[in-house]
Amino acid sequence: MAATSRKLEITVISAENLQLDRKPIKKNASATVRAENEGQFRTTDMDTEGGAYPKWNEKLVLDLPMQARSLTVEVQCKTSYGVRTIGTAKIPVSDFVGGFVPEGYLHFLSYRLRNHRGERNGIVNISVRMKVPELKACATTSSLSSMGFPMGDSSFGCGGVATGIPVWCGPYPKSY
Amino acid sequence: MGNCFSNDSGGMSAVGGAAGAHGNPYDGPNDAVDLFLRNRGYNGLFSQIELSFAAIDLRDRDVLSKSDPMVVIYTKGRDGGLSELGRTEVVLNSLNPKWITKHNITYHFEVVQTLVFRVYDVDTQFHNVDVKMLRLEEQQFLGEATCALSQIVPKSDRLLTLDLVYREDSESRRSNRHRDRGKLIVHAEESISSKTTVEMSLRCSDLEYKDLFSKSDPFLIISKLTESGTTIPVCKTEVIKNELKPSWKPIYLNIQQVGSKDSPLIMECFNFNNNGKHDLIGKIQKSLADLEKLHAIGQGENLFLPTTVGHDYHNKILKSQLFVDKFTESVQHTFLDYLAGGCELNFMVAVDFTASNGNPRLPDSLHYIDPSGRPNAYQKAIIDVVEVLQFYDSDKRFPAWGFGARPIDGPVNHCFNLNGSSHYCEVEGIQGIMMAYTSALQNVSLAGPTLFGPVITNAALNASQSVANGGRKYFVLLIITDGVVTDLQETKDALVKASDLPLSILIVGVGGADFKEMEILDADKGERLESSTGRVASRDIVQFVPFRDVQSGEISVVQALLAELPSQFLTYMRSRDVKPIL
Repeated sequence: MAATSRKLEITVISAENLQLDRKPIKKNASATVRAENEGQFRTTDMDTEGGAYPKWNEKLVLDLPMQARSLTVEVQCKTSYGVRTIGTAKIPVSDFVGGFVPEGYLHFLSYRLRNHRGERNGIVNISVRMKVPELKACATTSSLSSMGFPMGDSSFGCGGVATGIPVWCGPYPKSY
Repeated sequence: MGNCFSNDSGGMSAVGGAAGAHGNPYDGPNDAVDLFLRNRGYNGLFSQIELSFAAIDLRDRDVLSKSDPMVVIYTKGRDGGLSELGRTEVVLNSLNPKWITKHNITYHFEVVQTLVFRVYDVDTQFHNVDVKMLRLEEQQFLGEATCALSQIVPKSDRLLTLDLVYREDSESRRSNRHRDRGKLIVHAEESISSKTTVEMSLRCSDLEYKDLFSKSDPFLIISKLTESGTTIPVCKTEVIKNELKPSWKPIYLNIQQVGSKDSPLIMECFNFNNNGKHDLIGKIQKSLADLEKLHAIGQGENLFLPTTVGHDYHNKILKSQLFVDKFTESVQHTFLDYLAGGCELNFMVAVDFTASNGNPRLPDSLHYIDPSGRPNAYQKAIIDVVEVLQFYDSDKRFPAWGFGARPIDGPVNHCFNLNGSSHYCEVEGIQGIMMAYTSALQNVSLAGPTLFGPVITNAALNASQSVANGGRKYFVLLIITDGVVTDLQETKDALVKASDLPLSILIVGVGGADFKEMEILDADKGERLESSTGRVASRDIVQFVPFRDVQSGEISVVQALLAELPSQFLTYMRSRDVKPIL
């Protein structure tokens, strides 16, 4: 039953303040998303007009291997001299997996891009959602059922309460 | 942000129909009112509410017939003074009237608007007099009811039923007997006439050559046709250079901008000229409903060009056609829609107990509890915020924490429950917060340093657990502090993580410290927050304000903090496509 990879939906929304050689770029930026250092990657279309503030709003679907610890987002620009990398950001998988929010939660994340010299070069905005795998072994009851431990209703004390991460079974409730 | 930095020069960019306007969280129904209120410092959410009234079981004061009731609406100021806002009409001969006259009032999220309604029985001799001219002391007083506007609007049915009381009842010695004066039913309707936005993609074919050596550079202007025949431009597309088959970017029109779906719209296609004198290539007159039909049948419609031949005008039908490639309608829910549709705001508070506040037993301490009852800065800030937010929190149970103090014989705690419990952190209502605060002052020793990280992380935990439980809650954390934060990077890290959750943070600085460094946390005044791992805050969730005890005006400085909350809330809900359950 253990899958070797999960489907990841990444929408590359936009980027800000992209520069090449200390000058804002004019156009033709695109973004590539890659799982850790794996071969598999997806690229958005070029934004031919957005200049240094491109907007893609493009959804890319990637298979994220179970053991992957991070994703890499790279923003490039097609110039008359060829494709040049503007900057890269490394996104730890822990930023959208684990924690208390449920699995199918739509995360809106933003990251600082750094160029090959390690200098800051803009920000990239994305949204990420893990596709919940269909576990056929569980019986599906109502769409709002959850297996897991109640968090102790609203009584949340602070100072190290140990809680389990709920395992969701069946179709994920859409509205929350 | 892309709109501000486009490469289009010389006025060739799209105006008025761009997606930026589509995402306007204020949904201001009237630009003039918008501007008026903003110039007077009202930057918060305000919307027009229409109140309508009905009553049941009114007292019968007339001898031979039933009462002829009318409602007078007042607003009650902070000093208790009443000022009249308006009156309904008189309904003749009814003890269960439904008044037709509606009263329009502007709803401000960040202010508590207290309304008083008085019902009068209008004497027969005045029945032909205009209600505005009636002298109330000459009428029979039937009863009055009081409520806050924010009590009505978040309810799902937007209805509030209030018992009418008679002033003399409270003065009467026999007030044990409950005198039934009847009930007043107040209904509030948001009068934003249309929240529907239409997204259209337009295209033309076979446009004529207007330029000498190249193809035309076409763009469209969409105008609405007024009753008097004048046209008022509503939006224009971007200019596409050198193209006779242009396909423009989608435009967004709010139906209210154009009047209605059947209002006639003129679409003119011009050829762009650098000298500003653009040539008309052709035009067409269609309503939004017509455009929707064009889209449905997938055909185009010919443009025409008004030409004069001698003294005659006639419209030359052109070969060029307009096509509607995309036509979708979407409804933009407002803040009040969400509140009525099952969403709520949850309030949490964290109080700074660091030693810099001063010994609480001495009068110059920021934590000094004045025996005369005058609230100190901490108490005032809490009251100002909770006073507004309590109407939106259904169970009125507020998590309350303190930080930077040593509970009896313990190490310094940077997030302890204000109520002293080790199991749960909530208190009940404003009273609960005040009691927990004063008792905590006696049970802890002030220490330090000022750390926000643990409190913010705790609040974020509450928010993410609520999301996990399927709740539709939005959390508001109020941090009141007297000093500059010591763990700036940890605070930024916690804030960046929290920016993805349904949480907003209000920080109030009390006392005389220099809060310049704290302003970094508020993205309005600086850059987006960046964590130590390179992650950037995806939303601006922090508002910071230094607390100055300003007495002038109805809105305190702290309440001005609340003004941004509805738009932060809406940004969160809309980006995740959460819709109110209506």
